[in-house]
Amino acid sequence: MLYLSQILDSKISDSSDKAIGRLRDILIKSKAGIYSSLDFLLVEGKKGKEFCIPFEYVANLSKDEISLKNTFANVKTVIEPKENYIKLKRDVLDQQIVDVGGARVVRVNDLKIGLFENKMSVLGIDVSFKGLLRRVGLAWVDFFDALAIHLIDWRKAQPVKRGALKLDTISQDLTRLHPADLANIVEDLSLRQGSKLMSSLDEDTAAQVVEEMDPEVKKMLVNHLGTEKASKIIDRMSADEIADLLQILSKEEAKDLLSYLQNGKLKKVQKLIKYGKDTAGGIMTADFVTGQPDWTVKHATMEIKKASPAMRSMLYIYITDKEGFFKGSVSLRRLLTAGKDQTMMDMIKRLPSSSTLRTGQKIKEIVSVMTKYNLYTAAVLDDNKKLVGMVTIDDVMRQVFPKA
Amino acid sequence: MRERFKKIWIKIAFIFAVVGPGIIAANADNDAGGITTYSIAGAHFGTKMLWILLLITVSLAVTQEMGVRIGIVTRQGLGGVIREHFGVRWTAFAMLAMLVANIGTVTAEFAGVAASFSIFDISKYITVPLAALAVWFILYKGSFKTTQKIFLVFSAFYIVYIINGFIIRPDFGEAAVSLFTPTIEWTAPFLLTAIALIGTTITPWGQFFIQSYVVDKGLGIKHYKVEKAEVFFGAFLTDIVSFFIIISTAATLYKHGIRITDARDAAIALKPLAGQFAQLLFAFGLFSASMLGAFILPTATSYAICEAFGWESGFNTTWKTGKVFYSIILLTIVVPAAIVLLPNVNMIKIMILSQDVNGMLLPFILIFVMKIINNKEIMGEHVNKPIGNIISWLTIIGILAATVALLVTSFLGYN
Repeated sequence: MLYLSQILDSKISDSSDKAIGRLRDILIKSKAGIYSSLDFLLVEGKKGKEFCIPFEYVANLSKDEISLKNTFANVKTVIEPKENYIKLKRDVLDQQIVDVGGARVVRVNDLKIGLFENKMSVLGIDVSFKGLLRRVGLAWVDFFDALAIHLIDWRKAQPVKRGALKLDTISQDLTRLHPADLANIVEDLSLRQGSKLMSSLDEDTAAQVVEEMDPEVKKMLVNHLGTEKASKIIDRMSADEIADLLQILSKEEAKDLLSYLQNGKLKKVQKLIKYGKDTAGGIMTADFVTGQPDWTVKHATMEIKKASPAMRSMLYIYITDKEGFFKGSVSLRRLLTAGKDQTMMDMIKRLPSSSTLRTGQKIKEIVSVMTKYNLYTAAVLDDNKKLVGMVTIDDVMRQVFPKA
Repeated sequence: MRERFKKIWIKIAFIFAVVGPGIIAANADNDAGGITTYSIAGAHFGTKMLWILLLITVSLAVTQEMGVRIGIVTRQGLGGVIREHFGVRWTAFAMLAMLVANIGTVTAEFAGVAASFSIFDISKYITVPLAALAVWFILYKGSFKTTQKIFLVFSAFYIVYIINGFIIRPDFGEAAVSLFTPTIEWTAPFLLTAIALIGTTITPWGQFFIQSYVVDKGLGIKHYKVEKAEVFFGAFLTDIVSFFIIISTAATLYKHGIRITDARDAAIALKPLAGQFAQLLFAFGLFSASMLGAFILPTATSYAICEAFGWESGFNTTWKTGKVFYSIILLTIVVPAAIVLLPNVNMIKIMILSQDVNGMLLPFILIFVMKIINNKEIMGEHVNKPIGNIISWLTIIGILAATVALLVTSFLGYN
């Protein structure tokens, strides 16, 4: 077990046992998803002069000794390597990293170094309390070895400082995280790092991450990203989420963002934005599929396929007549099991009118309606009994537990 | 014309959006320890300490501005910046210093609660545990923001000191002279009060608080000018209040040779304004000022430490993942409450001594701030200008010199 803190500031000697300086840092190349091999040792020689020794000259790197294969005269030192290198002490140790596996932001207490495919490489990141003790020279306190060392696999970590968080180096695993987990990470990071991370995601993922974020953070992030970048992300968000976001922004900013939206979405958003925040109208989504009573199953399936890419989720198709009056709903399950030529009218599920919501209803009433009729989604009607949206169980949960 | 009018409104809205941290920090500076320290400074030494107050107003403005600048540039709390540039050992040192200072301050807040209710002869064994429980439950379950606002509004009670100050008709001429005439008594009580005066105005936690606030609000370099003005105004505001507390107690207590040994004595200063209600008014003010501090400090402490060491923080973490976060909050509530509940301790002394602890630990935190703010690698073009450096170093040296002088006079036995 070798840790960076155990070798930093150790003496380095050449093959003739002559001391040539002290180890001040180690340089690696930053690449996502691999155990980075050590490339150079940064050495402070006599009179405080700093230079780098390519790692191939190193004979032994351990707690007790750092020695070179050759005499110092035969070592080709470099003052400053040309390529971009990351310095382990300066850029990684003590910095924040994203622990991709745990979906959280932690600080690097120490780095574990060891052989991987016969090369000395960085293997893991110590984020445990024991790492802290080791750093302050108090590792002996734990003489029963009661404290566990918590290592994060180097390949599963994402440094966030010094431009290390770039599109090309961003770990694949990170973008594969669930948007909700990514949102938590962005909330943990500083605003600048958070928006960098957001910018590195594709716009669809970014849109979902923004939806999952705490309103305060959301607001600051949109401001920090700037209208142009933010509008691209916002364009991919669902209309109800956009309406929510616009309500927490200042009028000027909201206007600015609205001008970037596509026409169809703009109309949906404008419709939603007039409802109070904590009412059915305010939390409902305008993304749903409507059908006509005389549609056949075949027709309906086709329409669903067409609309599907733009929808977050879909459980029912809502049936309205030509004037937009709500008739009832047909579940996708019913559609799947029905014959091809059956019409919506045959399959429609008639519920009492008290199972639909009015735009002005408050969260408590929404919950009681949805609980009473065992609904995953509830249709929202305006004063003229026309269908304007639907509230999903997900929207309700977020109102009830905003912190999760 | 209309266009121009609109622009002005946008500007005003912009200013209101950032107003906050400086004023809140300044207001919270006048907490239980603050009110007591200023009262004692005036009651025991008259207007002799006003010149120190003038100097620390400048220091407060300068140090808070530095906190704002570091926050804007690094987008990190002070704990995080210290960790990234000084490593684990120095971080542990800085965090320990802050933890001790903050536990001291929370102790003063609970002592303030005890003292304010002692005016009505309600035992501290009832009030302090209740206050500690209330703080914990509101932090854990309730709305921190609303509560903070309520006590912030309550604590604006200091305005009564300003009104009171005018009713007394103190000798403003003499006060003005004292502002510009350095007077030092080489005695332990004077030096202790002087260090407490500095330590209650410029605080380690205030340095952490202002920086975190800037980061949390997401303020950027475009907000800097407004924020700077706000911090300067905040420093001025807090010390205007301190000024009036000192001249109020100087004109009432000092004049009649009354020394402050409990909260009732300190309340006498408000008699000219409130008459028989002076005690009630003082108790109310002291209580809300204490509670405001008691709410802010445990959380602020825990956030700073967790940020520095990379532990998960925030009230949306579960007990399991946020173990350390919650433990530090509990520690900073329980230990101070326990200290206040020790039998036979004098609340006034606790409040003064805790501010001394703050004052003595302040230089160490300020040295970190100075190292950071003058580091081009961290601050880029926003490093300190010479004037800021001079004022900050003079503050640091001033406190250290006062501390040394205090130790020497204590040893030599000048009392």
